[in-house]
Amino acid sequence: MTAAGDRNRRVLVVRCPAWRSPIADRAAAPQLFEQVVGVVREFCPRIEVLRPGICAFAVHGPARYYGGEAELARNLAEAVTRLGFDCGVGIADGMFAALLASRDGLAGGCRMVPSGASPAFLAPRSVTVLGEPELADLLIRLGIRTLGEFASLPTAEVRNRFGASGLLAHRLARGLDPRPLAASPPTADLSVQAEFDPPAEQSEQVAFVAKSLAGQLHAQLAASGLGCVRVQVQVICADGQEITRLWRHDGLLSELAVAERVRWQLDGWRTGQHADHLAEGGEGGSGGEGGSGGEAGGVILLRLIPDQLVHDPGRQLGLWGDAVVSDRVARAAVRVQAMLGHGAVRQPVLTGGRSPADQALLVPFGDMSVSLRPADRPWPGKIPSPAPATVYPTPKPAMVTDCSGALVTVTGRGHVSADPARLSVAGGPPLAVTAWTGPWPVTERWWDPAHACRKARFQLVTVDGGAWLAVVHDGCWLIEASYD
Amino acid sequence: MLVRPGRAGLADLLARGAVRPGDQLGGGVLADADRFPVLPVLRDLLPGGTLRRGSVVALGSWSSLCLALAAGPVAAGAWCAVAGVPEFGVAAAAEAGLDLAKLLLVPGLGQNWPQVVASLFDGCDLVLLRPPDRPSALVRRKLEAAVRRYGAVLLVAGDWDGAHVKLRITTSGWAGIGSGHGRLCGRWAQVVADGRGEWARPRARWLWLPGPDGAVAAVADEALAASGVTAETGTGWEAGTG
Repeated sequence: MTAAGDRNRRVLVVRCPAWRSPIADRAAAPQLFEQVVGVVREFCPRIEVLRPGICAFAVHGPARYYGGEAELARNLAEAVTRLGFDCGVGIADGMFAALLASRDGLAGGCRMVPSGASPAFLAPRSVTVLGEPELADLLIRLGIRTLGEFASLPTAEVRNRFGASGLLAHRLARGLDPRPLAASPPTADLSVQAEFDPPAEQSEQVAFVAKSLAGQLHAQLAASGLGCVRVQVQVICADGQEITRLWRHDGLLSELAVAERVRWQLDGWRTGQHADHLAEGGEGGSGGEGGSGGEAGGVILLRLIPDQLVHDPGRQLGLWGDAVVSDRVARAAVRVQAMLGHGAVRQPVLTGGRSPADQALLVPFGDMSVSLRPADRPWPGKIPSPAPATVYPTPKPAMVTDCSGALVTVTGRGHVSADPARLSVAGGPPLAVTAWTGPWPVTERWWDPAHACRKARFQLVTVDGGAWLAVVHDGCWLIEASYD
Repeated sequence: MLVRPGRAGLADLLARGAVRPGDQLGGGVLADADRFPVLPVLRDLLPGGTLRRGSVVALGSWSSLCLALAAGPVAAGAWCAVAGVPEFGVAAAAEAGLDLAKLLLVPGLGQNWPQVVASLFDGCDLVLLRPPDRPSALVRRKLEAAVRRYGAVLLVAGDWDGAHVKLRITTSGWAGIGSGHGRLCGRWAQVVADGRGEWARPRARWLWLPGPDGAVAAVADEALAASGVTAETGTGWEAGTG
């Protein structure tokens, strides 16, 4: 390895842990990250967004400008922290080592691995960091626990035993880039574009076109036996503004994933512009896009440019149908999303929780469903089966009174002041309670003052045949769900 | 369908989606059957014991009956869109036997809801709709035409003039809960079906809706259920009124 080769492989990774957890309103998260991207871009114009929360760039040029890698990393970490986001910066040879270094950087600002030291940096780490759970499991059972041990295996043997994906992991473990980059530029121009006349005002409309463009792009790539590691999305507005961004996906991008990123890019840019507008007098803005002169006048051109081309090794689909979304369903869902917005079509996923509302996560169609709370844990205090068919997205205010008309209360020790006799939901007429049970006290997340809550739940049956799940919280009654 | 007397167990499994015929694996589209199977306990309430493609079923209001009726077709491989029900109980749906991976939820339908619903028929064989407002005759005819064109089934959690079958819960009561003790264990309900043509004469069935595990089940002793008030004294059942 020559020194020049090493220098070109130096990569800086900025990691913001705020985006690691899929928070409830996932749709908003990528757009917020746009602010971080804007700041990072002031250090290097050509950056690569790996996923919301992580971006990277080649360190060689900027480091010279800032007088050294350490200076660059420190300045960058300061700039992002000033935005109000926690961040870790890592610099190493190659993307994989830099990613791990940035994880270390979370603790103390930045972590730098000297040039050529990546294999030594990686060697003591567990094979689980490769992100291939099955391979890691197998390796551990074979007695190969660290990346160093894995890297010391002969390449040919690894290829024989673990196949193409094993070979990729092996290259990572040795501190090399996962795949050899496509050495020669593509012979033909593989970029695709669509023009909008009249200009498209809605990002949904652009994203809708982006999906079919992506399909076209993939067909072209497939015809030449190539796959793209990154795709450059270029959007040109009616007033001449240009928004360009590189998006990376692990491996191959699906059409929906491309459309999604186009939408994030547009939404994020719009909200960023809006924020700039509001905070005109604020501290040196994050306006990488230049003068935010009011309306951009809609999008007139969308271009997708495949950026890093690799030979496509192909994929093997599961023999027995994984719940594959058929094209027909995806088409209908995307069409409705184009009409009503990305968050309008959702797929339910069961998660762990005690109340019926906690037990479900509604994931926008096309997004990855990542649940923080596994459903297969015991969840003591969970509302027993059968589950209510109606779960109000926001609980309805209610009044539960006893025979004398006084509000029923629950003491800290779980004593009910009197038998519930009447229930009035959302200011409606009071209904006589024919049967009730409770209180079922719950103290959730007492270790976390921001989310801690103490509640007591009741099941109530009213004279009209309705059955309700009611909760008392801070002396207020709420109806969480009803059994219909 | 593999329904032979000796294989009743398998047929039952098929209806619940525990096993599936090979041709229904993977894709969202059924083979060319023009009918969707329903859960065995609901067969008596529907003409031919199935949901015919192109038909509209009105269910009165949003309830676990809607979930129970959708469970059969979804288990057989159909995709189901739930439109206009922001308070959809996901856990209840899973307990009723609905495969969540085959559900699309469209909680808010917006102003132009008939067009949204018509687009859903393009991808889903089953649309469970609670109309945001009372649809005009024109809107109804358009949607009925879309249902027929795509060979889908429209389940309406509300009223729908001209529905092929109407199901409604006439009497119901909750079991297992007392005054300060017990818990909601299940609801016994009398479901009455009527409709057009051969189904003009109403017929009724007693069902656990939902049963103790959230699934729909037949009430074993109909006489007991019919006189739910007497049962209340003996077994701790509490009768609501219908």
